Amino acid sequence: MSEDKKAFSRRKFLKRGAIALGGTVVASYLGCNPTRRFIAQKVENMDLPASISSFNPDFWFQILPDNHILLKSPKVEMGQGIFTGFAMMAAEELNVPLEQMRVEHANTATGIEDELGTGGSNSTSGLFKPIREMAAILREMLKLAAATIWKVPVNQVVTQNGILQYGDKKMTFFECVTATKSWVVPKTPALKPASEFKYIGKEVKRVDLKDKVMGTAKYTIDTHFPNMVYATMLPCPYFNAKLKSVKTAAAEQSPDVLKVVQQNGWCAVVAKTQYAALSAAQKLEATWDVPKLWQQAEMEAMVTVGKGNAVNVQKVGNAQSTLENGAGQVYKQAFRTPFGTHAPMEVNGTVAHVTKDMAIIVVGTQNTVPNKALIAKALGLDKKMVDIQIPYLGGGFGRKGRMGNVVETALLSKIMGRPVKMMFTREQEFQNSFYRPLTHHVLSAKIGEKGDIQAITHDQASPDMILKHIMGNSLPLKLLGADFISSGHGASLLYNIPNKSATLWNTEVPVPVGIWRGVGMYPNTFATESFMNELAHQTKKDAIDFRIGLLTDTKDEIAQRAKKVLEVLKEKSGWTTAKPAGIGRGVSIANDRKSIAGSVVEVAIVEGKIKVQRVTQVLDVGMILNPEGIRAQMEGCVMMGISGALYEVVTIKDSQISVSNFHELPLATLMDVPDIQTVILANAHEPYGVGEPPLAPIAPAIAGAILDLTGKMLRNLPLKL
Amino acid sequence: MKINFKINGQDANLDVDPQMPLLWAVRDELKLTATKYGCGKALCGACTLHIDGEMFRSCSISVEYALGKNVTTLEGLPESHPIKQAWMELQVPQCGYCQPGFMMAAAKLLQTNPHPTEVEIQQNITNICRCGTQSRILKAVKRAAELTQK
Repeated sequence: MSEDKKAFSRRKFLKRGAIALGGTVVASYLGCNPTRRFIAQKVENMDLPASISSFNPDFWFQILPDNHILLKSPKVEMGQGIFTGFAMMAAEELNVPLEQMRVEHANTATGIEDELGTGGSNSTSGLFKPIREMAAILREMLKLAAATIWKVPVNQVVTQNGILQYGDKKMTFFECVTATKSWVVPKTPALKPASEFKYIGKEVKRVDLKDKVMGTAKYTIDTHFPNMVYATMLPCPYFNAKLKSVKTAAAEQSPDVLKVVQQNGWCAVVAKTQYAALSAAQKLEATWDVPKLWQQAEMEAMVTVGKGNAVNVQKVGNAQSTLENGAGQVYKQAFRTPFGTHAPMEVNGTVAHVTKDMAIIVVGTQNTVPNKALIAKALGLDKKMVDIQIPYLGGGFGRKGRMGNVVETALLSKIMGRPVKMMFTREQEFQNSFYRPLTHHVLSAKIGEKGDIQAITHDQASPDMILKHIMGNSLPLKLLGADFISSGHGASLLYNIPNKSATLWNTEVPVPVGIWRGVGMYPNTFATESFMNELAHQTKKDAIDFRIGLLTDTKDEIAQRAKKVLEVLKEKSGWTTAKPAGIGRGVSIANDRKSIAGSVVEVAIVEGKIKVQRVTQVLDVGMILNPEGIRAQMEGCVMMGISGALYEVVTIKDSQISVSNFHELPLATLMDVPDIQTVILANAHEPYGVGEPPLAPIAPAIAGAILDLTGKMLRNLPLKL
Repeated sequence: MKINFKINGQDANLDVDPQMPLLWAVRDELKLTATKYGCGKALCGACTLHIDGEMFRSCSISVEYALGKNVTTLEGLPESHPIKQAWMELQVPQCGYCQPGFMMAAAKLLQTNPHPTEVEIQQNITNICRCGTQSRILKAVKRAAELTQK
């Protein structure tokens, strides 16, 4: 039986227990394991280190005195709309109006910890079953308790809108909770069939909408504690330097400065105001020990196919032999994607309130568990005494989770004996961070004499994005040879070609690198789908028909869903209609952990620059949970995709990061908004991810449109004419 | 230095360094946190607010400038304001962080140009959003213009 079934047993439920706290029922639940499943899907039959395979995300419900139901989320809301999806799922089984649900972040003091953090587009789809099962159990617990109070058969107790009812007798959930001392936990009831869904799959308003429009939504930097002071870190101008010495006298004399703190290689100013701290930090005179001044060309030379460890991640038939032998033409091209920065509009920040035996840490983090362990260790506290509280995140995209100076802020609070707020400046956010790594791709195809594709190979070079951060050391990378989870995400080839192979080449770079929205799908789809556009062009075939012709395996569910996405794209985008003069059309698709995303893009060249005029996005999410949330993510991916394809680039010079603020990192703006059409499909029996899949196809579709318009292929991001 | 001004119709009486950016005075001293820090260099617009009806990026203007003037932040726009209504209707925000700045820029635009064309909206609102809500922002500004007319 599957992991899910085992995890949902009554025994496991009771292991966490249903407990009464201050007149409210709190039921927490050892849920199924979506993060582990996500990893397992990626690595299939490979053995993983134990720490990777034992994630146990929990969550809980609480009935509030106003009879609202609070769901504490282990996953963080950074704009993806997951709180809305969670509220919909819970309301469905609890049989309450959506307005009766509240969703908040769990804080770690309640025992809810999510080992892998929020990412991988799996929050809503992964918790689709656990949240509904938990809500159904809670509903039945309330009915059992009401039946006991009224001394009536439980099967005659009904509940609607948070009211329990038997004949003329009525009570609210909260009244039931306050009158119940001992709870009976039933077996997991049958879940509502999809045909009876009232919210799931329907149009609802975001639950965080009003707070965000009225300006009352709270983010980390909006946190205030009485007696709080402000800190700023001495920024390091290099990514590989160690602090040698720092002259602090001038900063210490600066108005309203309380203390300049120097510890293990870092320095911070603490002052009465943010302004005083920032002003004083400019008076610090630091010298840095820079072991080597690295250059961009060296990074590109390191991250090149053929260098480092090679790990094959896909092997069908014998691609290499087919390329080397027999008649036909070998077509080979290379692609590059640059370093990237996340640039969330909210910079990283932390508010720490550390007392002798307790630490309250307010931080918008995608990774609570590693942060908690690091804070506990640094403060010499038991992990139970570290409470991480999470406000809304002002964007994440992979950035919020590490290298946020959370530990340093906790130490500053301990040293100062009062709450401390520390936030990055934008310059620190851009320069003292980690980056999406640069990648290099070499693709080769054997084109038969009739224009048929007989073999295709994809060799990809990238540094590791995740393995060394999961374990905190390089052991998994050594064991596994390359990062097939993240860097290798999307490296395999989708199409039914008789001989195909994908190989990852791992070389580590001195620049800190990590996950960026879309993970490996983003660079890999750019390379593989651009290459597909080139092959269609080379063989004089229509780029959509060419792909459909290579999705022939009727037993391959992914191939068939991909084929359907292409067919819908062709129809909805007007692909076969006459193109206006000066317009090029391009297409791309991607299978991102079973979500199939496809884009058709129309571009023009306006005043010598690429202008995306129109985008048709089709996304097969398997099963639709929150259509409005899906559309928002698709639209967001169009804009981030255009931004990455046309503008964004981070380079290295003398061990420094090329961008310091937004004037050096042009991003898509209102000027770049194309006509966007979104189409959502549901061609499977379970939901898949939404937040990242629609991003990857944008850049290769734009490159394909430029190829269509000009006959010239652009093989490096960002695309430059 | 003692600095007095009005903010959202209320008296603000501060004793701060006159060179402190207005952003920090509004956020940290007056605890009005809708106005956000994004870049500190007037590049992103997250800190946009109005002073005597004119639009400013408050990270790059000193608190002293507000002396004796009327400052308006997002908190000062009523819930029924066409901009807020349009933002609700079109469900613009995702992470929401940059939206107060966009809304304040949009409110100013409609005040001076009640019926902006798409190009005028694009040229006048130069704020940055990373979630990619730009297409809804364009629609919401147009919708707010319609609501203003009614």
